[in-house]
Amino acid sequence: MRRRVVLACLVIAAVCAAAAAARPLANPGVSSTEIDLGSSVPLSGEAAAAGSVARGADAYFKYVNAHGGVFGRKISFTYLDDGYDPGRAVTNTIRLVQQNQVFAMFAPLGTDNNLAIRKFLNQQGVPQLFVNSGATTFGRDYKQYPWTIGYIPPYSEEGKIYAKYILQQFKRPKIAVLYQNDDYGQDLLNGLRKGLGKKASAIVAKVGYDPTTTDVQPLITQLKASKANILCIFAFGKFSLQAFFGVSGAGWHPQIFVNDVSAASSLMVIPPKSATKGAISIVFGKDPAAPIWANDKGIKLFQSILAKYGSGLTPGASKDGYYTAGMAEAFTMVDTLRKAGKSLTRAGVMRAATHLNEKNNPFVLPGIVVHTTPTFRYPITQVKLQRWTNGAWHPFGKLVSQPPG
Amino acid sequence: MKAKLLLEALSFALLVVAVVLLPHHVSDFHSRELATVGMYFIALVGLGILTGYSGQISLGHGAFMAIGGYTTAILEVNHGVRDIWTIPIAGLVAGAAGLLVGIPALRLSGPYLALVTLGIAIAFPQLPKKYGHFTGGTTGEILNLPKAPFGLHTTPNHWLYYLTWAIALMLLVCAWVLLRTKPGRTWQAVRDSETAAAASGIGVPAYKTLAFGISAFYAGIAGSLFAIATSFVNPDTYPIVLSIFLVVGLAVGGASSLAGLLAGAAFVYYLDNHADAVARWADHLPFVSVNPQQSGIPSVAFGAVLILVVLLLPTGVGGLLHRLLRPLTSRLYSRS
Repeated sequence: MRRRVVLACLVIAAVCAAAAAARPLANPGVSSTEIDLGSSVPLSGEAAAAGSVARGADAYFKYVNAHGGVFGRKISFTYLDDGYDPGRAVTNTIRLVQQNQVFAMFAPLGTDNNLAIRKFLNQQGVPQLFVNSGATTFGRDYKQYPWTIGYIPPYSEEGKIYAKYILQQFKRPKIAVLYQNDDYGQDLLNGLRKGLGKKASAIVAKVGYDPTTTDVQPLITQLKASKANILCIFAFGKFSLQAFFGVSGAGWHPQIFVNDVSAASSLMVIPPKSATKGAISIVFGKDPAAPIWANDKGIKLFQSILAKYGSGLTPGASKDGYYTAGMAEAFTMVDTLRKAGKSLTRAGVMRAATHLNEKNNPFVLPGIVVHTTPTFRYPITQVKLQRWTNGAWHPFGKLVSQPPG
Repeated sequence: MKAKLLLEALSFALLVVAVVLLPHHVSDFHSRELATVGMYFIALVGLGILTGYSGQISLGHGAFMAIGGYTTAILEVNHGVRDIWTIPIAGLVAGAAGLLVGIPALRLSGPYLALVTLGIAIAFPQLPKKYGHFTGGTTGEILNLPKAPFGLHTTPNHWLYYLTWAIALMLLVCAWVLLRTKPGRTWQAVRDSETAAAASGIGVPAYKTLAFGISAFYAGIAGSLFAIATSFVNPDTYPIVLSIFLVVGLAVGGASSLAGLLAGAAFVYYLDNHADAVARWADHLPFVSVNPQQSGIPSVAFGAVLILVVLLLPTGVGGLLHRLLRPLTSRLYSRS
């Protein structure tokens, strides 16, 4: 009997010891040789093109690893496909955090997808770094979500920048707006309205469309009837293309403003030249398809990194702005990790991410400073306006910025 | 007959034991994945009742899951109802919607009915957008993160697992009882020949509508659990492919085998979420070179595996089980 009691005690002690040993690591995702980052992006489905952001970032991390890593640690980057479905983004994120034990989530893509995972990541205290969405909430609501930070210029700011330019350049602006009827399109529209201030009545017509609609061309005819001389296309991907086709088909010649996330050169070359000619957008990253960067050091570096370290590349990757955008973000990520120091913690990386003052990112326009403070969490707010002429984007004027929100 | 009952009770007991023991042998995250399999299983049992037993095809069960999910989200976010209490309500709301859909189903059959249900799956995501003020529109609703109630000390993933499987086992018993009693026999009679069934005095319309209602109830429960697990609903969280996946699960599992549906549920979940692993494995095969990070490769892997499974198991896993167990069961039956 006694022997049995002793045995039982031994077993219990062993179980307790094992349980103690199996306690979660104090600092998951970081070892002396490795830093694990995770992401969830669309690699399939209608937004698959944008998923190349992760491929660009991955190539840059491999390049950094080949050059000694960050304090001797190699960055291992796992990005999973969510097909742009927020539900799958949640599953991916939980898998990355709980199964792969990543140190942080880096550059997940899509407004809804980032909204869907934000609560979980903040509850777990896992950094949600440099999200690929310009929704203002990711920079604004840091008190409620201290582990989240944005990256690209907020849509509200973009709207304001167009407004200021319109007020400068047009004596009698009459603005028509086509916008996607969700957070993204409404953020842009509100920015435009705020930027116009007292002149908000210059918006003579606006129509929202649902992201699941099939064709927005009839809406363009509707907008044309307002006799506006300016058309703002705050539409995503194929809808922005349809809008250009609609303008061309209607024989309308307004000054067009097209929002940044739909202004990829690869899209702009598709509609008839008469429609896209002279269109204006904003830009913060170097566009590898734009001739002015053909001999730029940053773009050369981008192309050599992609050729050497890229994997799973889509056709035309070396001219694809999504890849440069990913590399720009990865550059800031590496910068942040360096700033966070040798003894890497999640709190430390958040501190570093909210004290950025990065002036040397080779993948964004010269002069742009990636700048954050604990109360200003919009890393990129400086942009240039650019005009589409002769089949390419041409930045013009000085760097401009507007307060987001 | 008694022997068959005994065999079924025995396999159910085995399933219960497996369900209770499994989380202790897999990681916390895997128990979450198994919970999702349980949700698919619940929806598939419902679909099995409809398609396998009453012979009606639905390509739109994702919509009933969405109704369940939205019911849970609205009750929790707008009315502060605790998540677990919303589950039965979600089932009932979806069930009521199922009864409504069951009415046009009376006039249609086969591919025509399938088309109507597909239409519902396509049209449903537009509804929450139209009534954005109480469904959250395209942005959707963010729910509370799943957490064990009543001060239970368990991880959120284990809580989800036990919650889902407790409900799944309960609903499995309900389905089993239904199918072994009058409604089940009636449905099978209707499936095999509506004319003959009507001639024997069966109220065919009532039974067909009932099957739709019950199977939508199951889908609603599954959708509600999905919403609780994901803690987020928007029109994209219940995409059209979800409806298609359910039909895939049904085909792989074998429409009229409750045990086979378990395999169908696991197949759909794991292949959807781990198709990249299949692609990585295929990369090691001779003469095959695929990069799982290339766009579309996981989808191709999904399709290839699906084709293989359907070629090798035309009657589904249920049919395979039936064939494997026949020597045993026939002996048991002949003795009884």
